[in-house]
Amino acid sequence: MATVEERVKKVTARILKLSPDQIKSEHSFTVDLGAESVQSIELVAMFEQEFGIEMDEDAALAVETVKKAADFITQVCKEQGVDLEK
Amino acid sequence: MDNPGKKHPLVNTEQPNLLGDIYPYDLPPLIRFSGPVVEYIDGKPVEFDFASVRDRNILITDTTFRDGQQARPPYTLDQMVRIYDLLSRLSGPNGIVRQTEFFLYTKNDREALDRCRALGHKYPECTGWIRAVKGDFRLVKEAGLKETGMLTSCSDYHIFQKLKFRSRAECLDSYCQVVEAALEAGVRPRCHLEDVTRADLDGFVLPFIDRLMDLSSQVPEDLTVKIRLCDTMGFGISFPGAELPRSIPKLIYKINRECGVPSNRLEWHGHNDFHKVHANAATAWLYGCDFVNTTVFGFGERTGNPPIEGAIFEYIALKGDLCGIDTMAITELAEYMRSIGLPIPDNYPFAGKAFNTTRAGIHADGLRRDEQIYNIFDTEKLLGRPPRVAITDKSGTDGIAHWINEFFGLKGKNRINKIKVHKLARWVIDQYDEHGRLTAISDQELEAKTKELLPEYWQKYKAEKK
Repeated sequence: MATVEERVKKVTARILKLSPDQIKSEHSFTVDLGAESVQSIELVAMFEQEFGIEMDEDAALAVETVKKAADFITQVCKEQGVDLEK
Repeated sequence: MDNPGKKHPLVNTEQPNLLGDIYPYDLPPLIRFSGPVVEYIDGKPVEFDFASVRDRNILITDTTFRDGQQARPPYTLDQMVRIYDLLSRLSGPNGIVRQTEFFLYTKNDREALDRCRALGHKYPECTGWIRAVKGDFRLVKEAGLKETGMLTSCSDYHIFQKLKFRSRAECLDSYCQVVEAALEAGVRPRCHLEDVTRADLDGFVLPFIDRLMDLSSQVPEDLTVKIRLCDTMGFGISFPGAELPRSIPKLIYKINRECGVPSNRLEWHGHNDFHKVHANAATAWLYGCDFVNTTVFGFGERTGNPPIEGAIFEYIALKGDLCGIDTMAITELAEYMRSIGLPIPDNYPFAGKAFNTTRAGIHADGLRRDEQIYNIFDTEKLLGRPPRVAITDKSGTDGIAHWINEFFGLKGKNRINKIKVHKLARWVIDQYDEHGRLTAISDQELEAKTKELLPEYWQKYKAEKK
């Protein structure tokens, strides 16, 4: 089963039109991966869809790196009772 | 520097001070004064107490049908009646828009006056406008008007170059004969001192006014001569220290406090040739003219006159109260003027289609968080015009989210966040990045795309309302 971070990378690759292999945990969405404003919004929207959660807009958009995004999503899933093992 | 060592310590707080006593939001920002203003006149300091304007009976007059018509083809009778009706609504029960003036020369002029009066409105009162020619009084009397403006041009440009008088004395006598004829006829004269900001004050204007005051002293109060200061070419200057005859403070002082013309018989009429028209009119109020003469949206000869809607909001800001004014009539006047083919620029204050529309994404973000950040006052309450966001490549997702929330009429916690509008945001960006679009996206296009890309919200907020 894919980890949260692997799923984040997969979504990120699709939105930013990159290969998942190019994306590292410490990469910043904007600085390293080149996400533009609207792509940042699309990333948050697609993370919500991927994990079946609702994220606070400002908090989600403040997350800078892939690793931090995975941690943030894990935390939100826990708060919203979403089982990541299924 | 007067006090170079003065320190300015930070006043730290975790609660914002939004200066609500100056920016109440449900009214336009209030204008407050911290003390008297001193103007040096004839070498002596003279104090003006601007704060007294709150208690003075300052008012607005209108010349949309006179000066306003000199800037365009004539209005039809129906148009004039409709505009007059809206002016009356704007004026409110206290008659803040106190008077409007009519030409009397043609059959159409007189019919327009009759039809406006037939509406039965108390305000604005109807007055006339004639040349300073004795024979023209027949028109005023026949129309049954109590007051008329008359052209009494006072610069030598007009006296000698235009009217071809042989001397100032001949001119002054001629004007006074017409004023006397008006008084004899029981019609209150309002002398329009044309080109006063280019006139010889001491040599002609003040002696003329002295004569008018002598004539006024012989008649009942309701016939006493009114004075309209006409800044015909927009030469007037509002700031202290300017010299006569361009100085508005000094002009008003001389006429008000030296000649003794009371404020309630003084009116300012400006033109916008130097972009000073509204500020000059407001200055006239502050220095002692009780009336400022305006037109709807500033339409008037050449560059126009003080715009009535500007005077209205200045009035409210000075008084700190709506005073019965129906500001919604401004929006109706704008819609009506557009419908009859008068152009109002989109960015024109208070009335343009986009006067409170932001295009920058960063401003849209501010609007989305709190509309007071980027809206001048509660434009929805006072003008029926909530702040808008125009959608272009610069609008960002904040702008699109704001547009959507305005479109669906969502407030507070019901507002949709920008994450939810990402599909629409992508479509907008692609319009410019992928398709090379160069124009703004219309509301109609966005509406259609909203229905297509956000069907769940469309169903919830639009379809359910039908």
